[in-house]
Amino acid sequence: MARELSAVAAPPAGAVRGASRNATAWILLAPSCLALVLLFVVPIVYVLVLSVTDPRLSLAHYQRIFTVPVYTRVIVNTFVTSLIVTMLCLVIGYPIAYVMARRGGWMSTVLLTIVAMSFWTGFLVRTYAWLVILGSKGPVAAAYGALGLGPAPQLLFNTFSSTLGMTHILLPYMVLALYATMRKIDPSHLKAAASLGARPAATFREVFLPLSLPGVVNGSLLVFVSCLGFFVTPVLLGTPRDMMISQLINQQIEELLAFGFASAVAVVLLVATCAVLAIYNYYAGLDRLWG
Amino acid sequence: MRRRRFLKGFAATGAAAVAGPLIITERTIAQTRTIYVNTWGGSWTAAEEAAFFKPFTDQTGIRVKTVAPVSYAKLKAQVQSGSYEWDITAITQADLLRAEREGLVEPVDWTVVKKDKLFPNAVYANGLAYCALGTNLAYRKDKYPQGGPKSWADFWDVKKFPGNRSMLNNAVRTVQFALVADGVPVDKVFPLDIDRAFRKLDQIKPHIKVWWTQGNQSQQLVRDGEVDMIVMWNARASELQQQGLPVELVWPGATITTTMWGVAKGAPNRKLAWEFLQFAVQPKPQADFANKLYYGPTNPEAFKYISPEVSRQLPTYPENAKVAIKSDTVAEADQTAKIQERFTQWLAS
Repeated sequence: MARELSAVAAPPAGAVRGASRNATAWILLAPSCLALVLLFVVPIVYVLVLSVTDPRLSLAHYQRIFTVPVYTRVIVNTFVTSLIVTMLCLVIGYPIAYVMARRGGWMSTVLLTIVAMSFWTGFLVRTYAWLVILGSKGPVAAAYGALGLGPAPQLLFNTFSSTLGMTHILLPYMVLALYATMRKIDPSHLKAAASLGARPAATFREVFLPLSLPGVVNGSLLVFVSCLGFFVTPVLLGTPRDMMISQLINQQIEELLAFGFASAVAVVLLVATCAVLAIYNYYAGLDRLWG
Repeated sequence: MRRRRFLKGFAATGAAAVAGPLIITERTIAQTRTIYVNTWGGSWTAAEEAAFFKPFTDQTGIRVKTVAPVSYAKLKAQVQSGSYEWDITAITQADLLRAEREGLVEPVDWTVVKKDKLFPNAVYANGLAYCALGTNLAYRKDKYPQGGPKSWADFWDVKKFPGNRSMLNNAVRTVQFALVADGVPVDKVFPLDIDRAFRKLDQIKPHIKVWWTQGNQSQQLVRDGEVDMIVMWNARASELQQQGLPVELVWPGATITTTMWGVAKGAPNRKLAWEFLQFAVQPKPQADFANKLYYGPTNPEAFKYISPEVSRQLPTYPENAKVAIKSDTVAEADQTAKIQERFTQWLAS
């Protein structure tokens, strides 16, 4: 009888245990959820509200962004620059990641160390380094002189130096994303291709490259999205004409106290970034971004 | 030792997390004995540390902490939101006037500040006068052995004075320089003819290699030889001279800006803040500051402690002030927002 009772009682007890486990999970999740809401959701909503209410309720700020040529140009410039930087990172980063993943051994270790060191060095430090390298008394100008090529062209404070600086700073993201994917490519696939008569170039083209594409997409996304919000490097290495969106936001707040307009610009940047992520999510799935 | 410090820090963070947002916790603990000052950073803050903060702390036990750089936007944001990062700000006279009109600064607390211990014109727009700052044309003497530019017209003359140029990314100063370059006498610059100024600015824009934003950056550009002539704050140029660089400062057509102290409206430590300001405008601290960094003291008594050699290099020196642009704080405050808006767009286009 008692046994029967307990048998009957068992399922509800289990359900209770399940419910309490569920509650425990929620309690454990609560601090991070709270932090996310307080530090992320609330400020974003505040910015959204500000963009249509400061100084009065209207969509005038958005209208201004897309009708005043300077602002439209800044937005277009931000996307074009981000695209160029992403392409450069891919072109430079792919061979590095390839060697790191395929060669192995000490060469891989050395390359990985260099990339990681670059990753961990403050980006302000790396930006200032370019000021020295490209400066009129820097090594590049000295090399020009030594080779008798006459005075070096102006390398600093233009679109070139600004793009170069951003590419350098974002390159490690690209290399590490590519490396993570390439490491997982099974070498036996390549051997199989070779044993079926494919030349190295064909093996690379037909087998390795397609298998590394997820890394290409991940790395490009990381670099592109980070580049959209770039601030310090273009300020220090570029010209006011190369202004990026975040510089515009800063300027509107710091100099013009235009909190509403700055918020609207921030919303445009946010929407654009989300759109890029949504496209990625549709085709690849955001959960795969980190490998 | 390191481990202990780490644990201490960890415990403090834990305590703060329990007690609420970090800023509030830190403030509440330190509230009675610390004031927070918004300042420009770099050599400016270093000079303040020696001339004002340390002597004040020694005398009163009240600690002074700094936040850099000076930000009018933050002043507005913290008064509007009611959460304060600092109590006192250094601010230009025109910006202080704007802030006073917007209700962002505290009125002078006459229960703390003693009128008989102030000098004439010490109080303006609810702030106390701090120092006078020159924004000048400066150039590398070694680049112009035949004699360098002597005026803004020369700065604009890229044929007669070839070389790389840099200007300060500041709308109101730049517009004044353009007007003087275009032939406006230094005492007729205000009210500013904005259209005329921008027409003149269009001529020089292609020749400006860098629009600098930070004092350190301007020094770096001159030191590295990136530019040959530049718009520069006078004390920053003097520092380069002290370091042995062949830099020449031009006073004709310079702007002389009075910097003020202001207390943020509703700042939690406003009583202590006025106590500090009362101290900071006295002759000795003002002189100590000017001797460290060549900005002119506003308290005439301070010159008792300043040598004639240093005096001559300050914006307050009569020979320098005479040839500088005659400023009009009210007109400047009225026109600032409009000029900045236009300048921002002009720079980016």
